[in-house]
Amino acid sequence: MPMPAALDRENPSVLVMPGPGLPAFDYVRASKPDEVCDLLLQHGDNARLLMGGTDILVLMRDGVLAPKILIDVKHLPGMTTISFDPAGGLRLGAAVSMNTMTAHPAVKQHYPLLAEAAQAVASYQLRTRATMGGNLCNASPAADTAPAALVLNARCVTWGPDGERIIPVGAFFRGPKQNVLMPGEFLAFIDVPIPPPGWVGRYIKLGRNAGGDLAIVGVAVLGYPDANAASGCRFRIALASVAPTPIRVPEAEAILANMPITGETLERAAPAAQAAARPIDDLRGSARYRKAMTRNLTRRALDDVWAGLRKEG
Amino acid sequence: MSTPPTSQQAPSPIGENVRRVDALEKTTGEALFADDLQFGPNLLYGRIVRCPHPHARILNVDASRALALPGVKAVVTGQDTPGTIGLYLQDRHIFCRDRARYVGDPVAGVIATSEAIAEQACRLVEVEYEVLDPVLDPLQGAQPDAPLLHPDLEDYEVANFIFPKPGTNISNHFRVRKGDVEAAWAQCDAVVEREFRVPHVQHVPIEPHIAIAQADRHGQITLWTSSQSPFAQRSLIADALGISQSSIRVISPYVGGGFGSKAGVSMEALAVIMAQKVPGHPVKLRLTREEEFFTTFVRQGLIAKTRIGATKDGKLQAMKTEYYWDAGAYTEYGVNVTRATGYSSTGPYEIPHVHADSYCVYTNHPVGGPMRGFGMPEIHWGIEQIMDLLAEELGMDKVEFRLKNCVRGGSIIVTGSEMHPVGLPECIQKAADAVNWGTDEPASAPHKRRGKGLAIMWKAPAMPPNAGSSASVRFNEDATVTVSVGGQEIGQGAFTVAAQMAAAALGVPVDWVRVHGPLDTRYSPYEWQTVASRLTWSMGNAVVAAANNARRQILELAAEHWDEAIENLDIQDGMVISYKSEQSLPLQNMVVYGLPKPDDQGWRGGPVIGHGSFMPTYVTGLDPETGQGPRSVVHYTTGCQAVDLEVDTLTGQITILRVAAAYDVGKAINPDQVRAQIEGGVVQGASTAFFEGLAFKDGVPQNTSFVDYRIATSVDIPYEIISIIVEVPQDDGPWGARGVGEHSMVPTAPAIANAVAAAVGVRILDMPITAEKVYLALEEGE
Amino acid sequence: MAAHQITFTINGGQETALVTSHTTLLSLIREQLGLTGTKNGCATGECGACTVLLNGEPVNACMVLAVEVDGAEIVTVEGLAQDGQLDVLQQMFVEHTGTQCGFCTPGVLIMARALLDRNPNPSDDEIKDALRGNLCRCTGYVRIIEAVKAAAKAGG
Repeated sequence: MPMPAALDRENPSVLVMPGPGLPAFDYVRASKPDEVCDLLLQHGDNARLLMGGTDILVLMRDGVLAPKILIDVKHLPGMTTISFDPAGGLRLGAAVSMNTMTAHPAVKQHYPLLAEAAQAVASYQLRTRATMGGNLCNASPAADTAPAALVLNARCVTWGPDGERIIPVGAFFRGPKQNVLMPGEFLAFIDVPIPPPGWVGRYIKLGRNAGGDLAIVGVAVLGYPDANAASGCRFRIALASVAPTPIRVPEAEAILANMPITGETLERAAPAAQAAARPIDDLRGSARYRKAMTRNLTRRALDDVWAGLRKEG
Repeated sequence: MSTPPTSQQAPSPIGENVRRVDALEKTTGEALFADDLQFGPNLLYGRIVRCPHPHARILNVDASRALALPGVKAVVTGQDTPGTIGLYLQDRHIFCRDRARYVGDPVAGVIATSEAIAEQACRLVEVEYEVLDPVLDPLQGAQPDAPLLHPDLEDYEVANFIFPKPGTNISNHFRVRKGDVEAAWAQCDAVVEREFRVPHVQHVPIEPHIAIAQADRHGQITLWTSSQSPFAQRSLIADALGISQSSIRVISPYVGGGFGSKAGVSMEALAVIMAQKVPGHPVKLRLTREEEFFTTFVRQGLIAKTRIGATKDGKLQAMKTEYYWDAGAYTEYGVNVTRATGYSSTGPYEIPHVHADSYCVYTNHPVGGPMRGFGMPEIHWGIEQIMDLLAEELGMDKVEFRLKNCVRGGSIIVTGSEMHPVGLPECIQKAADAVNWGTDEPASAPHKRRGKGLAIMWKAPAMPPNAGSSASVRFNEDATVTVSVGGQEIGQGAFTVAAQMAAAALGVPVDWVRVHGPLDTRYSPYEWQTVASRLTWSMGNAVVAAANNARRQILELAAEHWDEAIENLDIQDGMVISYKSEQSLPLQNMVVYGLPKPDDQGWRGGPVIGHGSFMPTYVTGLDPETGQGPRSVVHYTTGCQAVDLEVDTLTGQITILRVAAAYDVGKAINPDQVRAQIEGGVVQGASTAFFEGLAFKDGVPQNTSFVDYRIATSVDIPYEIISIIVEVPQDDGPWGARGVGEHSMVPTAPAIANAVAAAVGVRILDMPITAEKVYLALEEGE
Repeated sequence: MAAHQITFTINGGQETALVTSHTTLLSLIREQLGLTGTKNGCATGECGACTVLLNGEPVNACMVLAVEVDGAEIVTVEGLAQDGQLDVLQQMFVEHTGTQCGFCTPGVLIMARALLDRNPNPSDDEIKDALRGNLCRCTGYVRIIEAVKAAAKAGG
């Protein structure tokens, strides 16, 4: 993630590395959404949002980003609030910390998959600050909460110069580290609808360490009974770290909806997920390994979810 | 054994689990590390301009833009450092002069009023380079037509046991020629040959390197730094600057992890040169974590080509091995890693015919240097795997094979020297038993496979033959004792062990003894370096000598006072006692004020201060052609680790269920601390086995952060570590003790590799054993 | 660049400081307040050596801006002992050799304090998971985990 030793474009004769401290910038504490939009419009790339800071501060120290203004949005109304409505579902302020989210009774009761995914991120002390909103906005292909958001059909609620916009998470990512936010627009809430009755979810992350590393592969599976499906069940599958963005894999989902759920069907669905993966080689793992792990971990997550569904049913 | 007289009555602190003397201040946040020292507003900060090329000629350095930046005080370059520096081979300038040899090589230093300004100014220094062809592989570098990194190699000052080959990139070649290897192959019924690779790894002390230097206007230099080697630093820097050792004072508070990276001199000299440019100002230079990964020392990379053979009864006959060390841009310290791995090249085995070449090859990679194990983890990676392969070839049990061939007291080892008494067979048996060796046990899930493997090791302190230690023991009025040492507390428990030894030798309760930092070359007694697991043994001997010296002064005083023979007197639990007259006298006050003569005729005695030194005197040279000699090292510590693990065949992930680690430490002065060293070494060894290795692309390190370079965290550790202490005494160790700090990391990686092979039949010859490698090998095996 | 005046509580006492926008909480604690128990090991939120409690929750102080702690309550390793009485974690780290070089120890202690505050009887796995953001290169974590367990048993 932080860049390795690289050349400075302005002075290629020196090795540029992360400095001892943060570069200078101005901190602005925003109190109204419009103020944020104005600052973003006014300063363009020179202004960035500060939520948990766990990504932006690292990128700034690394010299990847050099905003002149950081806009702290944690004090905007609702940004650090979690609300739950049994009909409408969960609304997470974009700046709610992962630990706050994980510990929230409604999340524990109704969205354990979100908690499972968030707990796969880095360390507890980092998650005191890190936010799911930031995780989605950074649009890292390896974002751990993204596959969970995808299978839960979460929606990004943004605020911008033209008011509110609702973007399904599946349409929020544009490419590696790129989202679809427009100039002046920022993420305000994440809405997570009530999952289908009887659902079971699982997030499996493979890293180099047993915990805390960035994902080599991440697989989220959500399954639920559905009388309208030929198989009697539907599964949603999403992957991290195997494509330019976190992705759903409809081909595999279709297999599971259309054929009776047997070991053989699960065995067919996993390669379909593998086929959808377009990973790259990086320091954490090769594309070849990622492909194979996409298959094996999809299968493992499907097995776990199917076992859970049978237990429930 | 230099065992001081200990009493039958009073409990001795030797062999007791005395609490660490530094534990309290380290848990309250009061323990001071170098970056915690306060220097006031006069403090300036330094940052370093580093070369972006693996190999380049420096044509010009233009600092004018940097100097124009407000807050910048001065810029130093190689022109400010004419002398060369190095521990065994003086092959580096403190700042590069005409040539830079690795990505990160320091070209200039900027001194400014803040770290941020210094950093900003570094980016304004313009350096004109002529990029040269690099050497990025030791096999390539050892070829006669390789680009030459050090054309002046023949002019460098070098220790008399290091053999550079001028006109090549080989800065040391250690040869072993023992017996007749070529003839021996014919006697062998089984022969195995393999090539093994070990990447560069980094020590990763949690405290990055830091140095604060100040030069006064009369040339006196003070250096505050996190150091394993205040005295060696003083000496090397003084030599490089052409000044007296007494003109440099090195002060080192607690060290936040060293593992070898803070031995010798690396970045500390940069701070000194910068400080000389701004006399009167302390200049602080602290490395970022990113710099830490590749600009101090790294563990050298290794390519090992090894062939071994045995007769069908399982007796080893011959070994031919070539070690090509990817030693980096400067090998001033690393040359001795190649020597140590030459004279220990067989591992702890008795092999009659040996042909070994250990080549230290300059490459345009980071500077290789000492790291925990000093070459032994790297060579044992191959040795212990090829022994398993040979045992398989012979159809022998691997424990039986090792018991048959391992060194014992009286064995003739690779250098032709005779082995001292050693408990290696006992270590092997105990470690194997602890994991139920020979018993197949079920894996925890159908897709997992379980396997057991083991590896044995040896390691000797690698150092000049005359590395010395000294200590002093001073009494305070209340009979508490201040023990001064020059050995550093780097977490290994050196101060605690010193306190135990002083207490036992003096006859006072251990909680009367104080051992404190910071080390200060102006006041602390000399110690060569805190390296090589040598303190318990070498510094320990000095402490005992100092304590005996003080004890003698006290007993002489009491003998005179009571008019008794000194032989009848003893010190027990802080009291001088006479076994004859059964008189006793508390130490309090008498150890400072002395004792009154009868009838008010004056006093005798006075402040008690004991001093003691230790230096080995018996290590001989080795023949440069054959590597043979009567005594190659002071001693070897040996041990065995057995690993029981399981492999997830669907991911390649490995889980260590238990590790049994048995070491012959001679005598465990503090068994709890020995076990703590074993646990730490096992986990550091497992971390290198699973995760670690610097990745280079065209000489540029790619993973210089904790995000990209992973080390073991609390969730990665074995479920169980069984530490086993074996005690076959060392003849010249205090109470028979020898060191164990480094050793527990040596066999961990090959033991894991052997267990993985046992579990799934996959043999990984290049470290690390990543889940990916295991999985892909399994897939290919299908 | 603008300076901000902030007021906060640290280890029970109120402090006021003038900080720039880019001053980190770590820098505020170590450089401005001179509380050097909190360590700087990586500056990227990866090693845990700078872990402190911010409003009762552990954070990497290098990943928090000083200006953000206006009005907040901070506890560093220096604030663990109360009225001259060591925290039970500190006692157990002394007793069980939970420290070697000591550089990671302040961050580990803070992290363990936060763990026991929210979970007084953690399992081995819970302890390991809670500490996975605190790198230690000396101990192999074994005695750190033992010390935390002992502290929990002693009423944490």
